[in-house]
This record gives sequence, C-alpha cells and structure tokens, in this order.
Amino acid sequence: MTSLRTTRVLGWIWTRGVLLIAAIFTIIPFLWLIASSFKSNEEFFRSTFLPMDGKRIAWERLTTEPFRRLFTELDFSNSLVNSIFLSSVTGVVATLSCAMGGYALAKFRFKGRGFCTALVLAAVLIPAPLIIAPTYQLLYRLDLLDSFAGLILPALAPAFGVFLFRQAIVSGVPNDLLEAARIDGAGEWRTFATVVLPLVRPMIGTFLMVTFLGMWNNFIAPQVVLQDPSKFPLSVAVAELRRGYYNDYGLQMAGTIISILPVMVLFLVMQKDFVSGLTSGAVKA
Amino acid sequence: MQEQKDRLAGMLPEWLPPGAAIVTLLAIVSSALLAVGASRPTPNEKAMWTFARPHYLMYEPRVEAWNKAAAKDGRALFDLRLLSLPAMERRMMASFLGDVPCADVLEVERRGVSRTFGGPVESVGFYDLTETLKKEGLLEEINAPSFSPWTTRGHIFGLPHDVHPVMLGYRADIVEAAGIDVSTIETWEDFARVLGPLMDTTGDGKPDRFLLNMWETNQDHLELLLLQAGGGFFDEHERPTLDSEINVHVLATITTWLGGPKRIAADAPNFSAVGNKLKADGYVLASFFPDWMGDIWKHEIPSLSGKMKLMPMPAWEKGGKRTSVWGGTMLGIPKTAVQKPGDFDKLWAFCKELYISDQFMRDLYREGGIVTPVKKYWSDPIFDEPNAFFSGQPAGRLYINLAPLVPNRNSSPYNTFAMYRTVDALVKLAEEARRAHEAGEKNAYDLPRLKARAKAFLGEAQKQVEDVLKRNVFLAEVGGAS
Repeated sequence: MTSLRTTRVLGWIWTRGVLLIAAIFTIIPFLWLIASSFKSNEEFFRSTFLPMDGKRIAWERLTTEPFRRLFTELDFSNSLVNSIFLSSVTGVVATLSCAMGGYALAKFRFKGRGFCTALVLAAVLIPAPLIIAPTYQLLYRLDLLDSFAGLILPALAPAFGVFLFRQAIVSGVPNDLLEAARIDGAGEWRTFATVVLPLVRPMIGTFLMVTFLGMWNNFIAPQVVLQDPSKFPLSVAVAELRRGYYNDYGLQMAGTIISILPVMVLFLVMQKDFVSGLTSGAVKA
Repeated sequence: MQEQKDRLAGMLPEWLPPGAAIVTLLAIVSSALLAVGASRPTPNEKAMWTFARPHYLMYEPRVEAWNKAAAKDGRALFDLRLLSLPAMERRMMASFLGDVPCADVLEVERRGVSRTFGGPVESVGFYDLTETLKKEGLLEEINAPSFSPWTTRGHIFGLPHDVHPVMLGYRADIVEAAGIDVSTIETWEDFARVLGPLMDTTGDGKPDRFLLNMWETNQDHLELLLLQAGGGFFDEHERPTLDSEINVHVLATITTWLGGPKRIAADAPNFSAVGNKLKADGYVLASFFPDWMGDIWKHEIPSLSGKMKLMPMPAWEKGGKRTSVWGGTMLGIPKTAVQKPGDFDKLWAFCKELYISDQFMRDLYREGGIVTPVKKYWSDPIFDEPNAFFSGQPAGRLYINLAPLVPNRNSSPYNTFAMYRTVDALVKLAEEARRAHEAGEKNAYDLPRLKARAKAFLGEAQKQVEDVLKRNVFLAEVGGAS
C-alpha cells in the first residue's frame, strides 16, 4: 500500500516536474518580451532581463515610455480597433456564410452540387500568395483598394470553411431531424438556425476562433491592400515599427505585447469551444 | 460561478457559444467606433511612397513647403507616405504586374528595383528617364556610378539618391591606445599584419577579439568585397560572371579570414541587439561603414561616440581600390502615374526639388550622414565639419574623396539570386576548410587548395544562375532563352 502511494507520489512529482521545466522554457521568451518592453534602447543592450545595479534590480531604469509612445505618437489604439473590427466582422460573417454554404452542399440536392463541391475542394489547393497580383487588380477594378471591404470580402467564404462545415453537417446532422422540423412547419431559415446550428455548435466556436486569429495575424493581405496608415491593423503596424536602419527595440516589444494580449484573452475565453470543436468526431459514439 | 455562466448561456441563442457572442459584440462595437471616426481628410492629388523613416522625417517638411508653394501657383500637391520595405515592394510589384496605379512617385531600394527589370525593357513599370536626364545635363552633374543600379539595357529608370562609398569604421580608442597608426595599412594583408597583435588580449595565444566584423553568411559584406576587387555577379552586359578568377581569389582569401590559423573575422551582425552588444564590447575592431551606417551606430550604440574613426578600406593589392559600395536608393515615376500630357512634368519637377536641391543635399548629410551624388555640391563646407561620433574626423570629406571611385553595381533581376548562390559557395568553402582543419589537415587553409575548391563551388553557382536566366525569353541577349 505504502509502495503504491510512493509510486503515485513519485509519478505526480515526475509529471509536474517535467511540465514545470517545459513551462519555464516556454515562458522565458515571454518574460524577456515583457521586460524588454519597459526598456529604453540603450538599456535594451545593457541587460538581458531586468536591469541590475549590483545585486539589486534597478526598477528606476525601467520605463513605460514605449507604451506611451505607441498610444500617443503612433496611434496604436487606432490599429487595435482596426484589428478588432477586421477580425471580429470577418470571423462572424465568414462563420455564418461557411455554415450556410456547408449546409447547402451537405443537405440539398441541386443541379451542379458535385461540381460546386469539387470547385470548393480545388480552391482549397490554390496557395494564397499565387493570387496576390490578380486579387490586387480585381480589387483595383472594384475600387476596393485601401478599404476594409477589400480585405473582408475575399475572406467571407473561405473554401476551407465551407468544406469544414459540409463535413460537420454530413456527419453530425441526421436527415430525419431536418425532415421532422419541416413536417412541424419550420421554414428553411428556422431549420438552419434552430436545428442545424445547435448541432454544429462546437464547430462554430472553433471556426470563429480560427478565422478571428487568421485575420488578426494576417499580414501580407493588409500590407498590400491597405495604403492609408490610419487603416493599418496591428499586424502591419507592429511590422512598421521594424525599420531597415534604426530599430527601437523597446517600442517593438511593447507593440508585440499589445498585439498578442487581446488574442490571448480571447483564446482563454473560447478555449472550451475551440477544444471541443477540434475533438468533435474524434471519438465515435 | 457556474450559475452565472448558465444564466449568461440562457440569454444567448442555443447555437451561439459565449465566446462567439463576445466576438459578435466586438464586431458591433468596433464597427460603431470606426463609423464614428470615419471622416478622413481628402488626399492630395499626388502621392509619394518612401520606405525609410529617416527619409520620411527628412522629406516631411520639404513636402509641406512644396505643397504651400504649389497651392499658390497651381502645381500638384503631394502626400508623403511611409511604408515598410517589403510592403512597398509587394505593392509596387502587384501594381506593375497588374498594370494598376500605386503611388505617383516611388522611392525604392536597389534590390526592389532590379526585380522590376525582368521583362522586356519597354514593359518596365517605371518611366524611362534616359532622355530627360540627357536633355537636362544631369548625366554629367551626377556621379556616374550612382546611375548603375537603375540602368538596364542602356535605359535609366531612376534619379539617384546617393553614392554610398564604403570605408572601414574602427575602434580608434583601442587601436590608438596600442600605438598603431592605421595610415600604414594599404592592403588587406597589411590590415591583418598590423592589427593582428590586438586580437590576443590575455596573452594565452588565443584570440579574444577579432579585427573584422564579417561572416560568410552576410551577403552584403561579400558583395561589397567582390565589387571592391573588381569582381561581382554580372558583367556590364548583365551576363553572369560568378566563377570569374577575381571572385575565386576573393572567396578563397575571405575563407582564410573566417577560420584557421589566420582567422581575423567574427560575426557581430548589424541591425541586431546581439551584434550591437558585441560591437560595444569591442569583440570586433572594424566594420564596413557605408556613409549611411554612421547615423545608425550613433543611434543604436551611442556609447561608441568619440571612440570610432574612419579609414579607407584596405585594397586587395597595392594601388588597388580603397572603397566599395553598399546599398542605394532611387526616385522613380511609375508609368501608371503618367496618364495625360503634363503629368510627367509635374512629377519630375517634384523629384528634382526633392533630390537635386542644395537644401536636400544639406538635409541628407546633416540628418543621415549621406553624401549627395550631385558633384557640384561636393565642395560645400558642410562636408568638412567635424563629426563627433568619428572622433572629430570630417566624415563627409573622407567619403567624398572616395565617391568617384565607387564601383558600378549591376541591375540584373537575378542579382539577388546570384548573390545567394555565391553566398552558398562561400559557406560550403568555409565549412569544408573548417572540417579539414579540425581533422588535422595541415593545408586546409592553403590558398591554392582553397582557390581550386572555390572555382568548383562557384562553377556550380554559375550554372544555377545560367539555368534560371535561360528560362527568361526577354533577356536573350544576356544569356536568356532565345
């Protein structure tokens, strides 16, 4: 009995110990990032983590100046709002349109359904950088360059999302349930909203999160499409802090913190939905 | 807590996860915020893009002054925008390939421009300035090598911003404390011999610091050394010359600097925190200094102010070239900006005001340490002013003395590709020599052996470039597909 308990305790210590070491290695870059964001450029080169004065931490050599400059001189609050707007609007609308598209491909019989599905699959295979120039020309012709619409519209119905929802609906929404709803008098919209969407709820959370993060981290498209700095999202605004010739490292680190903080918070809020979406279908009922 | 969560969930539709509800709320709030602040000032008629913040800060008051004067006499008003280099290049290429407008005036860095020279010369996205430059006498007024990166197949597509001669910046505090006079150094051999004793500070026979800041992976250092020696990646007709005898000699010699018994070089990378720390600590004594580099060091490593001095680069042989060139920027007018008669004149007037004026010459030197390519200004006393960072040396005058000797750069669209293939060759050569040396081979760093291997590696690189070039039907005359 004692031996069993000792084994369990040792196992517990071993597991926690390994995880603790891994956690320390993971967290070191973040600590460095945070410490660096409170340093002037000169201090950045003088100390690795916190500035030391002998054995004492020299708190007085830390400064909030990088953060102040971000929000006063460089108008980062504007970029923050732009990022939130682009990511949330794209996330919400793309999730709804993909769910609708996936539902149509999964449950409706219509002429050309096979062709549409093949087209969606083919679109998944095209690498995004390949279509930068044609997209740029198309956006120019539609007078959408330097506008948020130029970024949101091409991201509204990604082929990957449509296919993902199609698969989720094929495997998770029984036809009998849809027929029962229709017999009870529900229209197509009602059936979609009250029967289909609740059944693919984990996928909604996951896809919304993926789309939100995708747009939040999207760098090349905003960099090409947007030209007015007041419209730049954080991904571009942070990259603009890095100059070819002179770099203010404290400013860059502060900008990086501002750009990762909101998504970290969002991930913590949505992690349950995210994980359940990822694992749905992993275990056969 | 769970009760609160359940209550919140009860308020939401069954299909909407709480996280998704938060994102929806964010979408509504951010849309409202952007709608409230939607009114933006109307942009001016023309736009100029630049990629460097120091340039932007320098041009801002000048563009403002231009706009004030232009508003009175009916000339075009300009907006100045700062973009990161990759952003500008992506937009420029997307615009040129898609034949849609971008900015009216573009300030572009050398490697970005050469990418636009890959097609037929008449399809280059920039307006051809050759005739205008000839007509206005600017071909004679501007230092000739400054045109080379913007010239392809005899046509010039940009107004040069700079000359960018290269010198060596060295730790005068350390070198002079040891009683060494750098004026006795004429060649790279002299450099290693005269400064060599400074490498071992502890007397244990092992180097504690190195003489030169360079490494085999740094393509800029390699290119400037090749150009200094008279080599390079392409000849004046843009034909690849990677495996030339000069290149072979340079690569073999550099390899002896990077390892083995005659090692003098170490890596203290530019534009990085690690590199700056190593430079500040004196781990490397000398670095390559184009005219624009001083201003960067002044900001990034202020602790070295008054400890540095400039000297001409040591030559590859006695009487050889004591300088090279690193970087380059031009002002170009995209063809899409010239739609109707009079458009070009408006834009050209702005370009000249920005780049050719005496005020610009002063701003360029005072704020960036950069020497103007317009030769008539070179006698200006501003260039004789002592520079505190370089221990009171007249840095401008030192650079101007070397400006006419700056080598020509090529403008091949395959320049970057050729450069990386040459770097590959150097990396292979250096690695092979290191391994042989570690394995106890005594002749691992012998020059004839290194030259033979360099010839082989550069031959492979030459073939790779030729193969890529052969696919280009528009460059038949320089080895492209016919």
